[in-house]
Amino acid sequence: MAPRLSERLQAVILIAVLVVAIAGLYGLTRTLQPAGVPSFVVHGVRLVVNGSGWTIEYSSLVTTNNTAFSLLQEASHRLGFAIAYEVYQIPEGVLVTSINGSSNGEGGRYWQYWVNEAYGRVAADRSALSDDDIVTWRFDRSYEGASGA
Amino acid sequence: MIGTRNARGTAAASRPGWRGVLSAGLGNTRTRILGVFLILVAVLGTVVLRDYANIETVFVAALLAGSLLSRWWTVLVPLSALLILQPLEWGMNPTYAVEAMAGISFFVVTGFVFVGLIGSRLRPKVLFRVKSVALLTTISVPLTVAYDLWTAFGEWYFLVRPLGVSFATVLEAQVLFTLYHLLSSLIFVPLFGTTFLFLQAYGWPAEQSEPVPADSDEPP
Repeated sequence: MAPRLSERLQAVILIAVLVVAIAGLYGLTRTLQPAGVPSFVVHGVRLVVNGSGWTIEYSSLVTTNNTAFSLLQEASHRLGFAIAYEVYQIPEGVLVTSINGSSNGEGGRYWQYWVNEAYGRVAADRSALSDDDIVTWRFDRSYEGASGA
Repeated sequence: MIGTRNARGTAAASRPGWRGVLSAGLGNTRTRILGVFLILVAVLGTVVLRDYANIETVFVAALLAGSLLSRWWTVLVPLSALLILQPLEWGMNPTYAVEAMAGISFFVVTGFVFVGLIGSRLRPKVLFRVKSVALLTTISVPLTVAYDLWTAFGEWYFLVRPLGVSFATVLEAQVLFTLYHLLSSLIFVPLFGTTFLFLQAYGWPAEQSEPVPADSDEPP
């Protein structure tokens, strides 16, 4: 019969197992977390915002706002329309909740974005832009461009 | 004192009327104090950690309520905490329709109550021992995954299914959040588990004690 471990030894083993498990899990979450986008200059990027019955268009010849979110922020400052968003620490990223007075959930519609017609699968501030990209924000019921009323 | 237990619980059954029922349901003074503490841990921890998705303390409070306190606290702790937290959550994020918010709240509440009920099944094995902390921590892993699957289904059904998103897509997106939730459980269950097991064993003297046989299975 194996000797019975003391409470102290059991505690040491439990803490060691927990530290390894927590470190491993934390490492895994960092690996799966979409990477941040370093700031660099992009040329000729365009922004189209399709709301409920209104459209905002904006273009920038040269900018360091090289994500789908920062380009929206730039347009918001330059053209004077309001945006609202939430910043999440874990997982890191922003969620746009309102543009120009239209808020998520109104009429079952939500703000979603596409870059060159490719659906944005990561937080908008994690979506890097390249030269001549077109960012489209739609206040839509549909998902990935699928039909929606 | 060896072989003592609080008289309130045992006397409650024979006490007539709603006071007896209340007394039996809420347990002795120590149990009540720990129950209120667990509600505070659930609410304050989750509010403080609000910016960290799925790093929360309701899960550990529900698990400890079931495994340490049982009785009404199994349901009372998660329900009371969520009664405060859910309106706060939706109040700060009024972005969804009332129907969707109510639907998701249903999945969240039943999920945490389920955690408490599973915890109550462990109660006879939970004492102030390293083994008990290890048991609670181990059981928290599959419970966290089960809770996340349940609430992911609720979010899919009420929030994104109308957008045409498949449940598989939701599960794929859920992976990172579940890993964070597991991280939360692996940190908070041993931390608060040890603290509350200690408090339950040594925190407060029983209000009224009566001698019981030394081989009683009641916790001290």
